[in-house]
Amino acid sequence: MTMEQLVVAVVALPLVSALLVHMSCARLGRRVARVSVTLSVITFSLAAVLLATAVVHGASGQIALAGSWGIFLFDPLSALMATVIAGISLIVHVYSVRYMAEEAGYGRFFVLLDIMTATLLAMVAAGDLITLLIAWHLIGVLLYFLLGQDTRSHAAHRYAFWTLITYRFGDMPLVLAAGLLYHAYGTWSLTQIFTQIAAGPAVHSFFGIPLTGLVAGLVAVAAFARSAQFLLHTWLPYTMAGPTPVSALMHAGIVNAGGFLINRFAPVFVHTHGVLPWVFIVGLVTALIGSTLMLTQNDIKKSLGYSTMGQMGFMIMECGVGAFSLAIFHLISHGLFKGTLFLGAGGVINAARRDDGVPKDALYTFVVEKRPARVRRPWILMAAITLAVPVSILIVAHSLVGENYFQQQGAVVLLFFGWITGAQLIFATYRMRTGNLWRLVALSILSFTVIVVGYTLISHAFDLFLYPDEAFRQQIYTAANIGALRFDVLVGLVTALIVGGWVLTYYSEQNGSGRSGHHGRVWLTFYALISREFYLTDLFSRLSRALLATATRLNVLLRWV
Amino acid sequence: MSTLIYWLGGVFLPLFPLSMAFNVLFSRVRNAKLRVALLLVWPQLGLSLAYMAHRPIPVWCLVLALFTSVLYAFRAIGLREVGQWIGYLATSAWALLWVGLFTHSEPNVVRLYAVGFSLPLMLLTLLGARLERGFGAAYTGLYGGLAQTVPRMSGVLVGVVLAIVAAPLFPAFSAMLGTVIVTTPTMPLAALTVALVWLLWTWAGVRLLQGLIVGPADGSKAADLSLASTWAYVAVLVLLLAGGFYLTGDLP
Repeated sequence: MTMEQLVVAVVALPLVSALLVHMSCARLGRRVARVSVTLSVITFSLAAVLLATAVVHGASGQIALAGSWGIFLFDPLSALMATVIAGISLIVHVYSVRYMAEEAGYGRFFVLLDIMTATLLAMVAAGDLITLLIAWHLIGVLLYFLLGQDTRSHAAHRYAFWTLITYRFGDMPLVLAAGLLYHAYGTWSLTQIFTQIAAGPAVHSFFGIPLTGLVAGLVAVAAFARSAQFLLHTWLPYTMAGPTPVSALMHAGIVNAGGFLINRFAPVFVHTHGVLPWVFIVGLVTALIGSTLMLTQNDIKKSLGYSTMGQMGFMIMECGVGAFSLAIFHLISHGLFKGTLFLGAGGVINAARRDDGVPKDALYTFVVEKRPARVRRPWILMAAITLAVPVSILIVAHSLVGENYFQQQGAVVLLFFGWITGAQLIFATYRMRTGNLWRLVALSILSFTVIVVGYTLISHAFDLFLYPDEAFRQQIYTAANIGALRFDVLVGLVTALIVGGWVLTYYSEQNGSGRSGHHGRVWLTFYALISREFYLTDLFSRLSRALLATATRLNVLLRWV
Repeated sequence: MSTLIYWLGGVFLPLFPLSMAFNVLFSRVRNAKLRVALLLVWPQLGLSLAYMAHRPIPVWCLVLALFTSVLYAFRAIGLREVGQWIGYLATSAWALLWVGLFTHSEPNVVRLYAVGFSLPLMLLTLLGARLERGFGAAYTGLYGGLAQTVPRMSGVLVGVVLAIVAAPLFPAFSAMLGTVIVTTPTMPLAALTVALVWLLWTWAGVRLLQGLIVGPADGSKAADLSLASTWAYVAVLVLLLAGGFYLTGDLP
């Protein structure tokens, strides 16, 4: 069996499983899950073989099942993503065997889970636009039914509908992009389209706009809808009424498809100017708003939803700075840790009912109750260190390495800001557990060195695996370049924002939480705005109610014919 | 003469306000079999008339067709009666066939698109008639919870509605995809309108499903589909999927 045939087998096996489960459900009862789990194990094993082959021997091939469509790719991206999806799906399958045992529609759940797995695998292996569109569209539909597994719950279906309609909204730009690409290049095959684009990137335009830029913009919008970017995010925190395994699968393997899509269309993005910086801005806004909303939610599930939104913002930011492979690493690591959080949630709640086991010490008040730490002296020292280190490296690199170094290595800059923001949490964690200031500083710096070096090495390994051509890697960074002035202004703004946050925290800590007069009102208004999620959910709900009322009025006006 | 044919075609391939003729007729005909026949024949008559004209479709026809399609798709989201819902979705879908005529698509393919739009609507008509017999009315939000009381019928209903709202890989999906792809390069506004129609269908379809199958069982007792009937419906749905595969391979 060739590797290309193996790709087809990996996609087909979950479909076979769905069919077997459906046919034997009545006869086997709850034991039917064993069929699904067994075939999931085989699917994962085959996907692992694909990945291992791709790592050792490289991957480059495709197989066409239906002429111009039904093409499946065997390349590093598809092999890696197939393994991740098959792995997460397997874990979710195993978890669901007992978790869903008391739920109605046990067999239906496994059928849907298997079809969803097959669709996700088809999406990552799709080698033509039609197969990609079918899989992209079908994921939204299947997710609707998985989230609405409990057919008695109106709430579950209402929020599942929000997901579906946002996903359908995101399907449209991809369909339009497919239409433009097909018209320009006369083929559905992604490989052929990318080859023709590489040969003549500026050959085609659409009403005066370069085709590559327009297609990249449309693909980016499709990715934004799938990955819950700002204004298209409201469905994400509200979809917790679905079964926990579905939440895990969604947060670990579906919502991050935006990062995959941008990577799949990397050969288009490298020939654009000004698209990736916009992608970066959207990701930045989403990361900031998602993280802010996460901190202010008192509902733990919504908080987790907004946490995912923030992470997706960060992943899109990585794409925006040209760190495409880093985004893939991010989506995998986020998928694993968020999946673990969701699947572990039930056990944690169960254990906490007996004994929460959390000491009500300073660490608890900082992390859980989000109250600032009491001791300020090391806090200021740490703030200085975390700010000084990246800034001095930035200045040195600008003067010694070359002015363009950081524009080409935007990912490194992202890591520095990750350093600055994450520093406060790690510092606080250590601070509250130690009385020795120097030990604290040493531990913090060591932690960050390990994180940054590890992250950089892994990202480099992903770069080499996914984009072995160095010239292509450079092209991606060039497409993400925003120019020295804009770059410096952006770095300055983000730094000012972070420092401003510190100053505000310091100020509030000094003056206590009591506020009065104008400042108090402003603060309360801001808090209301954040806690009400910028009123976006209310706005969308009101808009949909208004549209429904208008439709009914029109029907009355036109006498229902 | 050709203008007259187009106006007549506007009755069968609905153009607003001529589209009202079909919806009046569809609401008056209460017999399910007659409705099924109407759904199958009506657009084919319209296509035959349009092909008789032997002249390019005027732009006003296309604009009016797109307007009609959006109008009925939008109005469908506010509906609760299944029969009316079928009529509106049929009107919205058939109006899009003008795009195929305007872009000189292969006549056989356009006729297959029409069948692809009509067949699932015919299945829903039969299911609607069954709901009327079992519950006294085919009306969303009136009883709900069908997934609990009549699971087989609910499963079939879900499949049929998915076929109507052009979910992959049903023929309507290929028709919508083909229409958007043909119009995107030359008529981007038309492509955006078709995409909007597609989105509205999804909304209308989900509202229909949520009003019928979701919710706790209300205690009403109605007979579920027999195993034979279920298999018959499933067989037609599988046939539709096969048709969808065929049409997808035939995309421009």
